[in-house]
Amino acid sequence: MKYALFLGCKIPYYVPHYEIATRRVLGDLGVELVDLEFPCCGYPMRHLYFRSYMLSAARGLALAESRELNITTPCKCCFGALKRAQKFLADNPELLREINAELAAEGLNYSGKVQVRHILQVMHDDVGMAELQSRVKRPYELLRAAILYGCHAVRPSEVTHFDDPSNLHLIDDLVKVTGATPVTWAGRLSCCGAPVRERNEDLALATIRRRLSEARDAKADILVIACAYSQMQAEWAYSLAGPPPQRELIEGPVLYPQLLGLCMGLTAKDVALDRNTPNGEYLISFLRRD
Amino acid sequence: MLFDLALYTSLALLALGLAYKLGRWLTTSIGPESRNYTPAQRLSASLKGLARALRGRSLGPMMAALVLDGLFQRRSLGHSRWAWAAHMLIFWGMMGLIFLHALGPVLIPSFTATLNPWLFLRNLFGVMLLAGAVMAMWRRLRLPGLRRTTHWADRAALGLLALLVLSGFALEGAKIVSVHSFDSMIAEYGDLPEDNDRAALGQVWRDHYGVAFPEGQVPAGLELMERGLELHNDSCVDCHDNPQWAFASWPLSRLMAPMAGWLEAAHTALWLYYLHFLAAFAALAILPFSKFLHIFTGPLLLMIRVAVPREEMDPAARALVRALELDVCTHCGACSVHCSVAEAVKHVPNLSVLPSEKLIALGRLVRGKTDYGEMLDVMRQGAYMCTSCLRCTRLCPVGINLQDLWFAMKDDLEEAGYGPTTRTVAKKALETAGPSRSVAPFKVSNGEFQKDLGLSVQADTFRNCYRCATCSNSCPVVFSYEDPKKELDLLPHQIMHTLGLGLADEAMGARMTWYCLTCYRCQEACPQGVKVADVLYELRNLAAARQEQGESC
Repeated sequence: MKYALFLGCKIPYYVPHYEIATRRVLGDLGVELVDLEFPCCGYPMRHLYFRSYMLSAARGLALAESRELNITTPCKCCFGALKRAQKFLADNPELLREINAELAAEGLNYSGKVQVRHILQVMHDDVGMAELQSRVKRPYELLRAAILYGCHAVRPSEVTHFDDPSNLHLIDDLVKVTGATPVTWAGRLSCCGAPVRERNEDLALATIRRRLSEARDAKADILVIACAYSQMQAEWAYSLAGPPPQRELIEGPVLYPQLLGLCMGLTAKDVALDRNTPNGEYLISFLRRD
Repeated sequence: MLFDLALYTSLALLALGLAYKLGRWLTTSIGPESRNYTPAQRLSASLKGLARALRGRSLGPMMAALVLDGLFQRRSLGHSRWAWAAHMLIFWGMMGLIFLHALGPVLIPSFTATLNPWLFLRNLFGVMLLAGAVMAMWRRLRLPGLRRTTHWADRAALGLLALLVLSGFALEGAKIVSVHSFDSMIAEYGDLPEDNDRAALGQVWRDHYGVAFPEGQVPAGLELMERGLELHNDSCVDCHDNPQWAFASWPLSRLMAPMAGWLEAAHTALWLYYLHFLAAFAALAILPFSKFLHIFTGPLLLMIRVAVPREEMDPAARALVRALELDVCTHCGACSVHCSVAEAVKHVPNLSVLPSEKLIALGRLVRGKTDYGEMLDVMRQGAYMCTSCLRCTRLCPVGINLQDLWFAMKDDLEEAGYGPTTRTVAKKALETAGPSRSVAPFKVSNGEFQKDLGLSVQADTFRNCYRCATCSNSCPVVFSYEDPKKELDLLPHQIMHTLGLGLADEAMGARMTWYCLTCYRCQEACPQGVKVADVLYELRNLAAARQEQGESC
């Protein structure tokens, strides 16, 4: 199992804990990650500049192809943008030709053979559920988890092929293997509000707050996230919410590799739980007592 | 005389320039909050910060940064090994030459420029500097990523370095062949009692030291050689090694030898001497206003950044450091070569997307050139194309915290009324389009519109809409408003219907188009396969393109 790690632009500065946990956990699971100097996936440009989006995405894809590697990314928006770009290029031979003519200047070419996979797919399918099960040393007990599936991973399903669109179960499987219980809640397939943040901050904040209160209504303890943007949104909402007694929120957002890593026997520091906002070390209290 | 005058003038200009720059660091404000701090506050906060850092065991890391990041430019390796090699050659070559020209005579009592190792070293350092400059120039001309950010100032700086070295070698070569130099050395150091002694010594210097005597001055044979060597051993050899040790100037002197007479008549050595020292002093005088300033500011910043993390820095000190950073940039282009969004420049022809160019624009902005007109708009586009991926900050060889500068710059732009690009495009679209809030003017606008939407496969899909409103019922934005029809102008299914009628302006001017969360629920739910979310993306693209062409929308 060898992949080029497409970290995306947001993780290094805004969500460094996601990188730490991802590298640590995938490494322990035997997934070899290769670092290439990827450009932006193009997602932030897509609102206004389609061609820039396509060129940037295609360059990243071509870069992986040049090394004969498939891509894995921890960010759902990078995942969605790269998948969407692949579909655009597959559907439009003319666009593909033009983009490749531009990439040729630096000796790159996109043929379409590179696969783009989210890290959760790699864990679920490549590592496999049986292997994951055997890796869990101290499962969680009585931990109720609200899963945020992530719009750009799940939809449009004909483009992303993240999971079975009529019966999403991939993240539920991954959460169950840790011993936590996925709860049924209203926001499971909903938006975190990130994409509209620059244009309409109020709507962006209201959207993530709604998710957090839905999770609380479902009596979840944590919100399980596997996307750079959703984590940024949740941490933003928490940073504005004030200290715990006042805020009517759940314990906090946790990135899936952190959730998995801790019950695999890694320390909270190994998966950078102390760098979450709010501090994610409360998760330790849900581990089964030995 | 001229030498001293030029030296002291250039030193005075250097001092004035540095004082002026210090003044700038104390007064220039990047980021609105920086304006709250007076020069005195900035200075005292910086000195206090420095004292705290030194007390708090930061001296070790600072010294390590000075040596590894400064003297050995470790950070450049993250950019390119070739860039590192070129800069190491330039840096150590220059340091060596400065030592040999300015410090050697002062610090080393036995220093004699014409004796080894100095004679050899001067050529070695010169060749290093020249090789580095040529490598750097080659990279700037050949690598597309560097070529696009290379300015005249970059070429001029490398050219000046090359001129310094080449004029030095040429001067040395001209002096090797010069009979005039030979005679003045005799006058100064020689003890030649007999008539034939000049010719005798001349034979030695012609055959072994390369002086190009005109025909007849020195006998062609070797009959005086014995006497010549005796004189040479008495008068010359203690202070002058064989010029062949000047391994760069020597071959040059062999090229000059056939035209030595002509060169002598034209006082070439003298002119080269003027050229050489005037070029050196010119470089000294313009140093505070050129990229050479990083010789002072670079090591300073490299130490500051390890002493105090930016987020823990006193805001008054931070104001000073930010202003300082503008004068640390060497415009090496590493940031722009590796920029995550550099691809965008090909289709959004705006160089201020690239960090190195953005920094230049920022410098102009904060120097009070507010009468920038469209420039602010250009800068906004560059600023908001940035994804804050931190790569430029991690890479910058001189340790500029570009991320911090970009955030401060966005705050400045926002204050000047230039907020995020998408918000601005949206605002303009909402102001100039969207007439459906009044009575809809039923005009089938722009017949070209559907062609414009042909970016992908969407143009045809909204025709399949049969107005079931499933998209609107699944939309979380619609769900977020109490009275969505009033607050969003049009709901998603209405936008599809509007487009079916060819009313592009109405669709682009609807708040729904701009508040779309791109969650794709609509598209996933549509029973007719209408690509609702993708169409909304394209509407935003179209509005941006139209605004860029100066059209209303």
